[in-house]
Order: sequence, then C-alpha cells, then structure tokens
Amino acid sequence: MGWGGHWGGGWGGGHGGAAAAGLPFAGIPPELRDAVEKIEEHEPEIPLRPVDFSQRTPEADKHFTLRGFLRPHRMSIVGALILVGIDTATLHVGPLLTQLGIDKGIIHKNFGVLLTVCLLYFGSIVVNSITGYFRLSFTGKLGQRLMHKLRISTFSQIQRLSLDFFTKEKAGRIMTRMTSDIEALQQLFSDGIVNLAVQGITLVFVIGVLVSMHAGLAAVVLFAIVPVMAAMTMWFRSASDTAFLRVRDRIADVLSDLSETLSGIRVLTMHNRQRHNAIRHRNIAGEHMDANLTAARISGAYGAGAESIGILGQALILMIGGGMVARGSLSVGQLTAFILYLTAVFAPITQLVALHSTYQQGKAAVTKLADLFAMQPSVPERADAIELPPIAGEIELRDVTFGYSPETVVLHEVDLRIAPGETFALVGPTGAGKSTIAKLVTRFYDPLAGQVLVDGHDLRNVTFDSLRRQLGVVPQEPFLFAGSIRDNIAFARPDATDEEVAAAVAAVGITEVVDRLPQGLDTPCHERGVTLSSGERQLLALARAFLAQPRVLILDEATSALDLATESMVERALDVVLQGRTAILIAHRLNTAMRADRIGVIEAGRLVEVGSHDELVALGGRYATMHELWVEHGGSVRAPATASV
Amino acid sequence: MTATVNFPRRPDEVLVDPDQAMVPEDRPTAYEPVSVVARYGPPRATVKPNPDLNWARRLAPLVFARKKHLVLGLIASVFTLVIQIAIPRTAGLAIDAISRNASGSLAPYAFMLAGLAAARATASYVYRYQLQRSSLGIETDMRNMIYRHLTRLSFSFFDRVQSGQLISRANSDIRAVQMFLGFAPTVAISILTFFAAFGFMLSIHVRLALVAGMTMPFVYLTGRTMRTKMFPISWMVQARTASLATIVEENVTGVRVVKSHAAEAQQISLLQRAAERWLWASNLQVDIRARFQPMMQNFPRIALAFVLLYGGWLAIHDQVTVGELVTFNGYVFMLQAPFMMLGFLMVMAQRSSASAKRILEIIDQTPEIQDRPGAFDLVDPQGDVRFEEVSFGYGAGENILTDFNLHISPGETVALVGRTGCGKSTVARLLARFYDVREGRVLMDGNDIRDLTVPSLRAAVGLVLDEPFLFSEPIRDNINYGRPTATQEEVEAAARAAGAEDFILELPAGYDTVIGERGYTLSGGQRQRIAIARTLLANPPVLVLDDATSSVDVQREQEIHGALATLMEGRTTLIIAHRLSTISLAKRVLLMEGGRIIADGTHEELMATVPQYAEVLARAEDEWQAAHNPPKPSDLDDPLDSDDEPDLPPQLRALKHLAAARSNEADTPRRSFEPETFGGSTPGAGGGQ
Repeated sequence: MGWGGHWGGGWGGGHGGAAAAGLPFAGIPPELRDAVEKIEEHEPEIPLRPVDFSQRTPEADKHFTLRGFLRPHRMSIVGALILVGIDTATLHVGPLLTQLGIDKGIIHKNFGVLLTVCLLYFGSIVVNSITGYFRLSFTGKLGQRLMHKLRISTFSQIQRLSLDFFTKEKAGRIMTRMTSDIEALQQLFSDGIVNLAVQGITLVFVIGVLVSMHAGLAAVVLFAIVPVMAAMTMWFRSASDTAFLRVRDRIADVLSDLSETLSGIRVLTMHNRQRHNAIRHRNIAGEHMDANLTAARISGAYGAGAESIGILGQALILMIGGGMVARGSLSVGQLTAFILYLTAVFAPITQLVALHSTYQQGKAAVTKLADLFAMQPSVPERADAIELPPIAGEIELRDVTFGYSPETVVLHEVDLRIAPGETFALVGPTGAGKSTIAKLVTRFYDPLAGQVLVDGHDLRNVTFDSLRRQLGVVPQEPFLFAGSIRDNIAFARPDATDEEVAAAVAAVGITEVVDRLPQGLDTPCHERGVTLSSGERQLLALARAFLAQPRVLILDEATSALDLATESMVERALDVVLQGRTAILIAHRLNTAMRADRIGVIEAGRLVEVGSHDELVALGGRYATMHELWVEHGGSVRAPATASV
Repeated sequence: MTATVNFPRRPDEVLVDPDQAMVPEDRPTAYEPVSVVARYGPPRATVKPNPDLNWARRLAPLVFARKKHLVLGLIASVFTLVIQIAIPRTAGLAIDAISRNASGSLAPYAFMLAGLAAARATASYVYRYQLQRSSLGIETDMRNMIYRHLTRLSFSFFDRVQSGQLISRANSDIRAVQMFLGFAPTVAISILTFFAAFGFMLSIHVRLALVAGMTMPFVYLTGRTMRTKMFPISWMVQARTASLATIVEENVTGVRVVKSHAAEAQQISLLQRAAERWLWASNLQVDIRARFQPMMQNFPRIALAFVLLYGGWLAIHDQVTVGELVTFNGYVFMLQAPFMMLGFLMVMAQRSSASAKRILEIIDQTPEIQDRPGAFDLVDPQGDVRFEEVSFGYGAGENILTDFNLHISPGETVALVGRTGCGKSTVARLLARFYDVREGRVLMDGNDIRDLTVPSLRAAVGLVLDEPFLFSEPIRDNINYGRPTATQEEVEAAARAAGAEDFILELPAGYDTVIGERGYTLSGGQRQRIAIARTLLANPPVLVLDDATSSVDVQREQEIHGALATLMEGRTTLIIAHRLSTISLAKRVLLMEGGRIIADGTHEELMATVPQYAEVLARAEDEWQAAHNPPKPSDLDDPLDSDDEPDLPPQLRALKHLAAARSNEADTPRRSFEPETFGGSTPGAGGGQ
C-alpha cells in the first residue's frame, strides 16, 4: 500500500509549514513563515464553540435586505459618519489656511497672523492623525464584523438546504455566495458607504469653501472642469470594467490550458505534441497579453488624460481668476487656494464614479443572498418534529414511490421491511434505484407517495439530528476533509477520546497503517486524501462510521472501487462494524451481497425479488441469472481462500 | 466491425498558414505534428542557462529583448518628468506676475499651461503604455518559455511534482516578476523627479527647500515599518480566506457526509472558528492601516505647514515671492512619491527575487530523456521489439525489472501477465522511452532506442492506457490528438473502427461535443473507445495495450475487443492483461514475476504447466469483479471535479469552481442521481431476459 510514500516529499519544499494550518497549499511563501508564526504567537486560542443551529431559518434571516442587515448597527454607523466628517474636514482645511496665511499674513506682512494660521494648520494635522486612526480602525472593524456575521448566517442557511439544492447548483455557484457575494457586500460597506460619506463630505466641504471665497470662480470649477472629469471617469469605468473582465477570462484560459496540459502530459508526450501545443499555448498567452494591452491603453489614456485635465483646470483658473484679481474681486491668496483645491475636487469625483459599480455589484450580491435566505429546504424539518428515541433499527418502506422529479419516477410502490440487526443487500443494474433507497432511508429526499419508517416512526415526523445520528452511511467514494486523520475519523464525534479513536482504528484493522505514518493520527489528509489509496480512504470512512456507533449502517457500494486485497480487509472490518446493527448493503458484486441475511433485487425501480441467497438461487429468477453469469465470469476461477459462498 | 483501416504513418499535410513566417521550432517535423496557426511569435529570448548567475542577470535577456518599448517608455517618462516640474513653476510665476501687477493678464501663463497639459498627456500616455507593453511582453515570454519547457520534461519529473504547485508558479510567480519589472522603471523615474524637483527648490531657496524636504525620510521610514508589519499579515489574511473557502468547498462537495452524520452544527462551528481566525487577522490589518495611513498622509502636510510658516516669514521679508511658495506647495507632493514607492519597490524586489528563483528552478530541470548527439530517425519501423538484460527502477528506488529479456517479432501479439506491481506496465513505459533503462538495452528493429530520435520512436509506439485521459476539448480533437492534420473523414473512420461512432453521433453536438462541458462525461468504455480511435488514427506499428479493458463491463468489452482486433491487425502488439478474455487476444503469453519473465507459451500450455499462472489469473478475475460495473459517478460528480486533476490544491479547485460558475451562469440543472450510462443493459439484468 502506497501510504507513506508521498508524504511531505514535495518538490522544491512548497509544503511543510502550511500543513500546520491544515492546508497543503496555504499560499504563505516560505520566506514569510517565520514572521507569520511570530504574529500567530500572540493570537488568542480561538476555541471551537458550539453554535445554535436550527434546521429552520430564523425569522430575522428570512428577508435579507441591506437596510435590515445594517439596522442593528445604525448607532455604530452614525458614530462612524461623525468620525468621517471630522477626519475629512481636518484633512482638507490646508489650502484654506494657506490662503488665509497668504492674504492676511504675508501680503499684510503680519507674522503674528501667519503664525496663528500655521499653528492652526499643525493643530489640524494632529487632530486628523488622531481621528484618522479612529476612523479607519472603527469603520474597518465594523465592516469586518458585519461580514463575519453574514458569513456565518449564510453558511448556516446553506447547511439547511436539502440535497437537491447541492445537485442542482454547481459547487462553484454555491461557493460564490460565501466568497464573492460577501466580498462584494464588504466592498459596498467599506468602499461604498464609508467612502461615499468621505467623498461626499470632501466635495461639500471643498465646494463650500470655494463658493464662500468666490462664487463665480467656483462656478467655473463646478460647471466647466468637474463635468469633463466626471465624464472621463465614467468612460474609464465602463471601458476598463470590460477590459479587465476580458483579462480575467484570458488568464483563466491560460491557466486552464496549462493545467489541462499538465494533467494530460503523458498523452501529450506520447503523441509528440510538444510543438503543436507550444504554439497553441502561445496563441492563448498572446490573447491574454492583447487583453492586457487593451487594458493598459485604457488606463494609460485615462491616467494621462486625468492629469492633463488637472493642468488645464489650473490654466482655466489662472486665466479667469487672473482677470478677477485684476478687477479686484479675488485675492492672490484665494487664487492660490483655488489652484490647490482643484486636486481635492478631482479625487471625490473619480471615487464617486467608482462607487457606482461597487454599488451595482453590492446590489446584485444582496439580491443573490436574499434569494438564498428566502429558499426553503425541499425536505423540511417539521416545526413539531420529535426527537427520535434510541432505535432498535427496524426499517420499513411502505408503498414508496419516488422520483427526483414527479415526471420521472425512479421507484414504484416499493414495500420492504428490514428487521433490527438484519443485514440486507440490494442488488440490481446501475440506475435501477438501489442508491435511491439509501437516500430515502437517510431522508435526503421524501417519497412522492408512501412512507419511510424507522422503528415505526415516519421519518417526516422526527428531527434530522436525532435520525441521522443513529444512521451511518459509507459511500462508494469516501470523502475526506482537510485536517488530520483523527479529525476525519472523529468527524461525527469531535469530542471522542483518543482511546475511542484508537478503538475505531483498531476495529477496521488499520492500526498498523496509521502507526507507520510520520505523524500517526495527526498526519494531515491532503487534498481530498489523494495521497491515500482508495482502500485506505474507505477504511477511514468505515472507522468514521464505527466511531459514530450508528444503529443502522448503509454501505452504498462501499467496496465497489476496491481491489481484492483491500476489499477483503474492508470486509473483515465490516464483520466487526456490522455486529449488532441493521445494515443495508448496496452492492454491485455478488460476493458482497452473498454476505447478507437477505437480498433484494431491484429492477427498473421495482423490488422484484427478496429472499436469502439460497432461496433466490433456487427461485431461478433474476438473481439466479445474475449469479450464473457471475460464476461464469469469475466465480469459477476464484481462489478457494477468498470464496465466501 | 469494419475492415482494416490504414492511415498514413506520418502527418502528411500541414494546415499551417503558409504566409505565416514560421520560425524553425514551429515547423512540424516528420514525427511532430503541428496543425495550428501561430498567431503570436515564440518567446523573443530565453534565460541565461548558467545556474550560477544571479536571477536578475539570468532574466536580463528577456528584458533586453523588449528594449525597444522599454527605451521608448523611459524617454517618454523623462519628458513627462520635465513637464511635471515645469507646471508648479509656471503656476508660481503666474501668481507672482499678478502679485506684482494686479492688472496684467495671466493669459500667456494659462496658454503655456494648456500647452504643457497637451504635451504631458502625450508623453504620459506613451510612457505608461510602453512600459506596460515591455513588462507584459516579458511576462508572456516567460509563460511560453515555461510551458514549452514543461512539455519537454520527462515523466520522472512529473512523478515528483504536484501540478498544483506548477500552476501556482506559472501564475503568481510570473505575475510577481512582471509587476516588479513593470514597476521598477516608474520608481526610477520618480527618483529622478525627486532630484529634479528638489534641485529646483534648492535653486529658489536652499533653506526653504530643506524645510520642505525635511519630513520625506519619515514618509519612507513609516512606509517601511508599515509594510514590514503589514506584509506577513496580509498573507495571513489571504491564507485564512483560503481556509474559509476550503471549508465551504468541502461542505458543498461533501454535503452527503455532513448531512448523513448530522454534522451541520459542528461544521458551522468549524467555519465560525475559521472565520474568527480570519477576523482576528483582518482586524490586525485594519489596525496597522489605521495606525500608519493617517501618519503617512500627514507627513507631507507637516512639510506644507512648515513651508507656509517659514516661507511666509521669508516672503514677509521679501526673500521669496508668493508664487515661489505656490511652486513649493506643488513640489512637496512630488518629493514624497519616491519615498513612498521606494519601500514598496524593495518589498516587490524581494518577492520578485523569490519568485524568479522558483521559476528558474523549473527552467533548470533538464529533460532526462533527450536525443543523443548523432541520434537518427527510426525510418519505416517494422516493429521488432527486443529487451536485452534490462534492469530498471523508478527514481532511486529498487529495481522493478532485473535482467529482463523479451523479444517480440514484427506483427506478433504477446500478452504479458503478472500480479499487480510486478513491472508489466513498466515494460511499456521503457519501450516508449518514457524512462531510460539502468542497465541493458531496449532495441527497436535492432537499434538501441537511445540511438533513435525520441519523436520518431514515440511515433512508432502507441499506448492505450487503462484509464484513458481525454482532454476537455471536442471529441474530434481528442481523436485526432496524435495526428491533428487528419481530415474529418479519417477521424470518422477511426471512430467507426473503434466502435465509438454510434455513441458519438448520439451526443448533442456529435464530434464537436466538448468532453466535460455541461456534464457530458463519458463512461469508462466510451472513453476507452475514443482512446482506441486516437491510437488507430496515429497508426503506430507497435502497440501496447496497458490493461485497456479493465474499466469496462462485459458487453462493452466484447465490442472493444472487436475494436482492438481491428487496431492490432498488422501491428506488433504487447497486451498487458489481467483477464482471460483479454489474454485470449494473444497467441503467446508471458508470465512475469519479480521483474522477470518466468514462463512463455500459449495460454493452454501455461495453464497446464505453470501453477503460478492459474493463481495470477484467479486473482485478476477477482479484481475484475471490482470493475464489473464501471464505478458509478458519485452523486456530486462535477465534470470539473473529476479525477482528471486530483492534484489541484483546494484553493485552485475552488478557483476553478468559481470560474466555472461564472462561465455557466445559465446552465441547466444537472443530471439526476442515477446516471443512465448503461441504460438497462448491465450484465446480469440484461443476460436474464
């Protein structure tokens, strides 16, 4: 078994420390690890705290709106706005003070006035430094806290939805609710609302000062210079949004071509495709460069244009303001202040235009999140659902008809009773509905008609938690989570003691394998466990099920993908795990099915035969035919040691 | 099955646009097909091969290759700089003019400024664009250089390396170098600006200039402190964001496990902890920004206040003019730029150096399998295969094959049987020279394969693997993979001969169906038949079937055997087999054990005389039971998530998911749970009625 072979032997040493964070590719470059570790030393231990989780969406979350989301924090937001106001005013008072210094101090040769003005200037800088700190810290943390809260309630809502949601939606789409949508909202809050306030106040303040100095010249700034700048910025936003979208698509092309090439590198080498593919990649990389160049042209034009408009604005102010000074309606200091304030007007304009797209994205995110929160699970938990008491393990399907959609029925009127402690196997062709029965017993779906009962309780009347804690499922493709082997085994019971975990490991017979690992149970499972063989992963999944101690265990083709040696290991483990439990074995291989007390044959959604192996062979029906074929194709040359008939 | 198809043995036509001036490395050779029009040239330069030089010198040729844009950009930026310096001066002169003579017109100054604005717009655009162009060109050259190099590395390299790591290098590391190269000239210019502006200020008034420049070192120092504090934290935040994404991704893909263990609440608390860790790191980031940003912003303003105070005092005493104060006001902001950027540049240089070293690490990998000097093409191969006293093991590992001998005559079909891990597949890999032997030699038509050119050898050997890899491309491109110049008729003929035509035509877009897109995944048998068609079309005289029917059910196996028989006709064939039915395709059977052949004869002979043979077969039949029905795609089987890329790190997988989500906004609901790959014709059920 290739279990220790690949651990930690990463090429170029990209791994190592990142594994500590539970991530094989955490992205912290090696040269920064020490610094990061030093910071983390000061991090308080963040415990795993139990959460209050209900299968039903809390009323407060059901109607998600931006306003409703922000309402509980309105006092904080008002506080933030006050800080923003002071901060902005003190930041932009400089040119005004310069003007006063020139007009009242320098021109009148009054050093006392100049000194006072300068002291005010210094004062404003001190105040600004202090309010700046509080403003950034307060609004920043408020934004993070809001997003943190939203992240957890969104994740909780996703957890409430039924399996069909996860199969209908692409994994990536679901993930965007938790990633880009929440980020868009964070943007909307920090760049949007806060920035809107900052820039709005700046604009009002500066324009106020300009108008108070000279309304006519202020009008020139407002109506001749600002619109040009605004129009240019708007053009830039829309042009660069398109251009950068293209850049993102093109870089995705480049990376997916590279990743595809690396995955298929052996086929590529085999067919001497190096030249062909190098040219192909060049074309893809070239398009990426072209997209980037377009973006560079747009931002180059905007950058150059914006600077020049600033200078042209100065020219215009000199031209018109000069005349005003000549006529005596404007002072030299005021003319200077106009020139100095010009830049202070431009920044808010570019920012406010940028806000528009932030707002659009934020709005779209709000809509998507609102849809998510409004969504009801298709398999809901009843409000009056009861706790399922500890069960003996009797399972009954009563006249169950089911289809993933009402039009395409997968199971027709299935009647089946499995006694407590019985091992029952389901066999039949792919697509006949075997796995569907497993999904009904675990209540991933509700039947269209009929009832599924456990110990006489209709599944629809009991809580999910109490039901599923007493059921265990081992799927064909065991899913391992990032984290240690221990975390994976103790998945259902994270509070399990070391002894209990060790017992589970021993029960499935992998103590030796685990001991051979460099870090034993603490060895991280990499990337969905690709460094473990499928047999080892399956044994881990079994240990996980064992530790959970379910009353009913469902093995959904759990051994179908294993080679013989591993399968016999898994089967030995099963002997231990199944003891005293009700078990449903969904099997492709007859030798697995033969271990069961009774076997059911499913065909085209109907349960066509039920009985013990011998009974069914004697019956001479479907099962007998399958058995015959199996003997023909393998049974006859099977080594006697592994025959289990 | 249809009659034998015979495709020409070499790419006979080239679809490349003849007008396109092609560099030698773009030309197809007799064995290396090219059928794509090069719309972009090859990299203009490559790195210096000497690994002892430092990274900057090794990358220098790439920079030098873009010197035209770089120089143009630098010249334009000097112009920009001169104009930039002139502007506050002009404004200052205007203020002075009006202070001296309030009735004079400022129109000349205004026109001068307007002229400067126009000149500056032009120069500034040219410099921004040209500098970008040079750094993007370098980036593209690096991408192509690395891609080309990777495709030429040997299997032994890919055995050691995770593709996720390579992709990350190709992405973030190249980006880091590009950003540094793009940014460095800007900083150089801003430093020039500093000297020019400061010189100008000194020429106006030395002490006032010193006062104006006094806070600048603090801008640099604060900036540096902020960045050294910020840098690890921003990586922390990034890593923690990634852990959050990983938890979400796992909960989405592993939803059945979560739900069946009633672990929802527990997963939420797991996410909550991860989110709190993120919050802690993000708050640190906020704190540092809050502490330093206002300070950074205010240092130049302190200088401005001092300029007003001291300059005002000087102006009162008529040592400077008001216009000169205005000029100083404009220059103060120019002074600060290099101090802000320099620190940033140093951080970028550090990152870029680390990244460049990682990139060079790839470039410095030499392909282990290369043409010897004097290697010759394998012309008109007959398919006589011989292994002489071959010993081989992977990496530094133990020998898998020891003194291995084998001879297969042209046109002969031989089955190689043995336990898993006995070295059967290794034989195939040595034959195609994916690895070189440790001792002994492998001969093709009497030539040591190390004396042959690698492409000509590989063109002569076709491999059909147990798990065929198909690219996420149209089915047509998968079939003509080895001979991209093939016509549609040839592709169809190959598909027909491989028994793949029926199901291909049933697909919504036929040969244009893109594999993996919109959930069009194919079953193991279908994939295998496409792989067979691919090999048929490549038409190699030597064929290796490496467990090619292991993932196929019994009915399909019969069909594939038909296809295989077509494929094998007139070729030397080595079948690496587990199952009796596959072995029956060969007359001669070889039994391997412990890296050697221990028995040679017909199936019947071996059954009668060699007890190990029956044992191996029994075991193999059992293993086949495992694949009796092809494994059912799991419920949440996502085409992106298929086993084609088990090496992708979770973050990249997450990225791919996101990318897919974007590109498929309007996609249809996915398949229901029970896939219909085999309808009702599964063995057992189908056999019954």
